[in-house]
Amino acid sequence: MAPYTLTTQTAGSRGALFWLALKSSVLTVLTLGIYRFWMKTRLRRFYWSAICPGGVPLEYTGTGIEKLMGFLVAVVVLAFYIGIVNLILVFLSFSLLNDNVAAYVLSFIGIIPIYFFASYRARRYVLARTRWRGLRFGIEPAAWAYAWRAMLHGLATLLTLGLLLPRQTFWLEKFRIDRTWFGQAKFTQEGNWKMLLPVARQMNLGIIFLVVSSIVGVVGGDPRSALLIIPAALWALLGFVHFQVQAFRILAEHKRLAPGIRFAAAPRTKRVIGIYSLGYALCGLILLFGLVLLFIGIFSLIYLAGAVPASGTLDFQTVLSGENGALWQAVSYAIGALIYFSVFIFWGVLRQIFVTLPLLRHYAQSTRLIGSHHLPEIRQRARDQRTGAEGFAEALDIGAAI
Amino acid sequence: MTPHPGSPHPGPSSVFADYFDGKTAVSHRVRLVWNRVRHQLEITLPGQTDPIVWLLAEVRRLPDQASRNTVLLAHAKGGPARLLVRDISIVRQMQTTCRALEPQENMTHIWRRLIFVASGAVASVLSIVFLLVPLLANQLAGVLPSAGEQALGDATYQQIRQALGSQNGPGIKECHTTRGDSALEHLMWRLQRGQAGKFRIKLHVLDHPMVNAFALPGGHIVLFHGLLDQAKSPEELAGVIGHEMGHVAHRDPTRLALRSAGSVGVLGLLLGDFAGGAAVLYLSEQLISANYSRAAEAAADSYSIKLLNEQRIPTLPLADFFLRLSQRSGPLNGLMSHLASHPDLKGRAEKTRRANQDKMGFWPVLGPSEWRDVKEVCDR
Repeated sequence: MAPYTLTTQTAGSRGALFWLALKSSVLTVLTLGIYRFWMKTRLRRFYWSAICPGGVPLEYTGTGIEKLMGFLVAVVVLAFYIGIVNLILVFLSFSLLNDNVAAYVLSFIGIIPIYFFASYRARRYVLARTRWRGLRFGIEPAAWAYAWRAMLHGLATLLTLGLLLPRQTFWLEKFRIDRTWFGQAKFTQEGNWKMLLPVARQMNLGIIFLVVSSIVGVVGGDPRSALLIIPAALWALLGFVHFQVQAFRILAEHKRLAPGIRFAAAPRTKRVIGIYSLGYALCGLILLFGLVLLFIGIFSLIYLAGAVPASGTLDFQTVLSGENGALWQAVSYAIGALIYFSVFIFWGVLRQIFVTLPLLRHYAQSTRLIGSHHLPEIRQRARDQRTGAEGFAEALDIGAAI
Repeated sequence: MTPHPGSPHPGPSSVFADYFDGKTAVSHRVRLVWNRVRHQLEITLPGQTDPIVWLLAEVRRLPDQASRNTVLLAHAKGGPARLLVRDISIVRQMQTTCRALEPQENMTHIWRRLIFVASGAVASVLSIVFLLVPLLANQLAGVLPSAGEQALGDATYQQIRQALGSQNGPGIKECHTTRGDSALEHLMWRLQRGQAGKFRIKLHVLDHPMVNAFALPGGHIVLFHGLLDQAKSPEELAGVIGHEMGHVAHRDPTRLALRSAGSVGVLGLLLGDFAGGAAVLYLSEQLISANYSRAAEAAADSYSIKLLNEQRIPTLPLADFFLRLSQRSGPLNGLMSHLASHPDLKGRAEKTRRANQDKMGFWPVLGPSEWRDVKEVCDR
């Protein structure tokens, strides 16, 4: 290994994350969702501290309160936008076209720039609250410039059925990275978009296969051709994952940090696909197992409580209309709510420990920093106060994972 | 900061740690001494003799850390300086005894600001939904071209049928019989005699048990089956329809529909449900219960009274109907009926009764057999 190279270690056990995620999810449900800002904060502290480049953990310094306040401000702005703009759109649509489809379409299109704006603002907030070796990260404010670029690139990708995704990926990453700082050292994204083309080949073949099989199915009218669509879609999906993983690697290898620091990454597609498929399979199995156990438990309780008549069969209609009908009805509502929220909470928690954490570990462990002897030259940057947290992203529910 | 003579010598009790001064990215390999006499941490940088001193009472531990085997320490007085300790005995002690780092030490100030921001947000959203949107909707409703108003009415009528019907079904049933339809047509002809060209009324009967009638933009008037069951005479029904024609003429439903279109999105935003089912249900509920202002209801009543007088139809039956409605209490079938939503039904009944004038003699609205056909329009 080259001298002055820092490998990235990871810390943190699934058990610790499980309890943290479970505790904060339950609190979120009990507080009707308000605790989610603190839940996000605590999970991020955990995940950040799990990544230790050169053995020194990242630090997340965001707070729940600033997230809640950012959310409140964003809700007011969005309420104004949605209320007034929707009204005017509906009016114009009916006055000019005698129809409201145009209003719906325009209203949806109007949300897209806000979506990209929000995702950049969220990134700015998160970077401003991230530290390593005591120094802050940061990204320059450019959310609107990012939003219209992202829209044009997205449109080009959409019109070419994904063929231009490498171009979109590269230019948007370059836009963000060229504005990103660690302390007073600036990042740059080098390279060009064509370097991502080779790793997009499988995805493109999958898409072409998908398009051809759909056309054959529609034109030929043979229902059996629908069977071709499934492997085609799977091919495109796996190709997409391969592209995501390998684009991360190539982009990392072409990133520079001002005084002469480079990066190397070696994430493996097979490993990532393995984590996704095994992780979600485990989530599903455990959830199913838990539900079966829960039902067995509930039925034994009902049995023990003496609700089952001598004949041995349980007739819910009789029970609910019987002498303690109201009580049993309340009990069944409570059980229903319990099951609903349990599924909701446990799915989120299991996904954190079986998908999010393993993915984070794999990406972190495969990433190295080259040229660590330049690190002492980097100095602190001032605190970025006015980020409005990630209010817009919260209000529009962007980035639901962490 | 000089070492005190009483402090133990940094020897076996000192360990190595990583110190980050918060000014550069240098990782300082420091000597760390936990001085148990003076209750402080002494951090000695390489090549220095005077240690940096952190009083234990002011040392804070970063919370929610992934690693159990290291601890990242900070000083309460702020500053981004950090101390990364790997010595397992110090790590364990710090994990149990050290306070977690608060983002800001002065929390009362933050909470006060939060309450300020939160009340401001609630006030702003409320004033957008209840002041700004209605104000704009009222202005726009006045200038909406009539073809647009028709289209708005057609769309909302279909939406309401869907919302009242079963999920994914074709929507609630429209009542039609050949004889019933022609009797209703006759009734409408009777009400609109000599007024041709003002606006076209499209009358619908829906198979729903609620005692209700309401108007939609563009001249749609919807009667529920429950209303036909309750109506004692064709004159009563004519009075109710006249009232709804008043709403149509004054464009009340158009204002309401535009206002709801604005509020629906805001509601979706707050419920985290974009263009979802809740929004459509809300819109339908708004139009069915049609909570117009006192003034709008009075104006619709006056319109109906004027119409009945012109067409030589008695107003007493409508007054009776209002009175009967006022004696029923409680919500009807979960949804609030537009007709019953007005608080002052007795006062309206009185006003309607006084308007009864038969100087020239009344003309019956429908004959007995036609009236029966109307009552049976939903029977199959």
